[in-house]
Amino acid sequence: MSKSRLILAACATVLIATACRPDPPPPDPAPTGPTPEELERMRQDSIRAAEEAARREHERREREAEAARERAAAAARRILMETVYFDYDEATIRPDTEETLRAKLDILRNNPGVRLRMEGHADERGTSEYNIALGNDRAESVIRFLTGFGLDMGRFASVSYGEERPVAQGSNEAAWAQNRRVEFVITAGGEDLGR
Amino acid sequence: MTPRGAATLARITVLVAPFVVWVPGSAAQEERAAIPGVSLGFVYEGERIPPIALQPFTGGGAAAEIASIIATDLDYSDRFYVRDSLPAGVDTEGIQYSLWDQYGVDWLLTGNIDREDGVTFLDVELHDIVFSSIRSRARFPIPPPGHEAFRLAVHRISDAVVEWVHGEPGMAASRIVFSMRPFGNPDSKELYVVDSDGEGLQRATWDDDLAVSPAWSPDGVRIAYTSYKSGLPRIYELNLVDGSERTVESNSSGAQQFSPSYHPDGDRIAFWTLEGGDTKGISTYNIRDGCCLTRLIAGYHQNIQPSYSRDGSKLAFLSNRLGPQTPQIYVMPGEGGDAELLSPYQYGQGGYFADPDWSPTADKVAFAGGIVDERVYNQYDIFVRDMDAPDNRLVRLTNEGNNEDPSWAPDGRHLVFAGARSYGYGVLVVDTATGRTRLLVAGVRAEDTDWSPGLSWRGDGVETGGPGSGTRPKDAR
Repeated sequence: MSKSRLILAACATVLIATACRPDPPPPDPAPTGPTPEELERMRQDSIRAAEEAARREHERREREAEAARERAAAAARRILMETVYFDYDEATIRPDTEETLRAKLDILRNNPGVRLRMEGHADERGTSEYNIALGNDRAESVIRFLTGFGLDMGRFASVSYGEERPVAQGSNEAAWAQNRRVEFVITAGGEDLGR
Repeated sequence: MTPRGAATLARITVLVAPFVVWVPGSAAQEERAAIPGVSLGFVYEGERIPPIALQPFTGGGAAAEIASIIATDLDYSDRFYVRDSLPAGVDTEGIQYSLWDQYGVDWLLTGNIDREDGVTFLDVELHDIVFSSIRSRARFPIPPPGHEAFRLAVHRISDAVVEWVHGEPGMAASRIVFSMRPFGNPDSKELYVVDSDGEGLQRATWDDDLAVSPAWSPDGVRIAYTSYKSGLPRIYELNLVDGSERTVESNSSGAQQFSPSYHPDGDRIAFWTLEGGDTKGISTYNIRDGCCLTRLIAGYHQNIQPSYSRDGSKLAFLSNRLGPQTPQIYVMPGEGGDAELLSPYQYGQGGYFADPDWSPTADKVAFAGGIVDERVYNQYDIFVRDMDAPDNRLVRLTNEGNNEDPSWAPDGRHLVFAGARSYGYGVLVVDTATGRTRLLVAGVRAEDTDWSPGLSWRGDGVETGGPGSGTRPKDAR
């Protein structure tokens, strides 16, 4: 008991000694202002700082704009490349297909340098060569839809793979529905998208 | 008609063919929509299949192997009933006509290996057991076993025997080309070639892309086919002798080209194209002179898969002009013109018919299809329309699984086709006269089967001779 009290007293002594030490005298204030050279340097520094800030702000805006452009380009690419689907042994444009194609139409109008290759596909039902013809009918049906809105036919090419390149395996309607499709490949102008 | 032929005919009337015919209907497990006016299966025309035996070939060397190949060929020809056992007491030194007569064969084939100036020959004799005489004999050069031309040289002997007895071409010395996905590369399709007896399966293309719809040239040394390897499906011609390859028509650079069919002159091909702006149809092109692209049909509908008739005067093709989901087979003049319906279409009945192939020996067109809808898909059968028959007869040759891409053998009697059965996929051969079906290549998912014309060897100086030829020894008859 007496030992711990002794420690407490010693601590208090140390605390008091520290607090009661007198402050050192303040330094003398500078008797003179900045020299003209120093003023000029400060002025230049402030100009540089302002310019630097403006440049950074500009770059930030550029980066944001570029990112926005890239986002827009990616979105445009995504829309352009969105696969469209068809009914069994049909090449007619379905209502849901038409919606997808109209979205593509807007992008194609705003980006006249963009060219597309339509790749037609069929499901496994039917003979392989008839399905090549059917796949091409689907690709041509899509091209006809787009050129029907005034787009230049020279911007589009078609190739048919028939039933040779299924995306979904299996002999059921779910697989077939995914395989009856037209895929889109951007063959030119993709780098200008979003500008 | 020879006296012997008359004698055989006389026997036909009293003998029942011992051949076990394959009856398609007996194996039928599936319900198939009936097509009015179409007879199911083979048409048994009363042809008696003559029994033949092969006396063990003599002279050592490859004699036994050659006899075995010929026996199989004669069986596959479906024109002989090949006895696969021998009567007791056969003496290979001479011909025991009475013994063979008691054994019940019409024909006996003997063979003897002979060597002359370093060349090996097989002397073949066909004995007429009914008349106890030699019907035909010939000497055939035989490359050593293992030589690339060995089996082909032996197949030519088999075809000679068929021709001696029946006066018609055989099909043993021929091959079948088809497309198939190579193992380990499911995104590509390559061409493969196999002998008529199912031996010697070889890969023919290495495009690493889709190679489809091959067609064999009339001279047997070229294969035209469509490859996607340039990014666009175009027709190429592969030379089987020197291995070279060339593009066939390069002017219409944007066109997709498919399914070549050689004109019998070998100089022209018919094919179908897809071009930009909805332009499509059937065209012809002179591949020898590289000129004269001519469009025979164009239009809104699909007109695809042309196949030349044996004289080139007509083309069979597929068109969906009656509407989607009902492709039908038509025939038009070889230079284009009005088309006539060939497949069994009836209004309101539907039907899906494709893959026409014109016989090289007669006005017969084989095709695949059936009365199908979107629930009953890919259950096609093989049909033959015989325009030489008075009733323009239509025969169905299959009744199970799926059957596509029929192609005529050079004998104008057999068809090869791509089949799917309960036990798997395969390349099958059917004899249109008896309905007998055999599996040519088992376990392969083949498509676009095409049968070659009769082949002879043209590599490294070995010549096996023309069909039914062979050098007759001086002492023959």
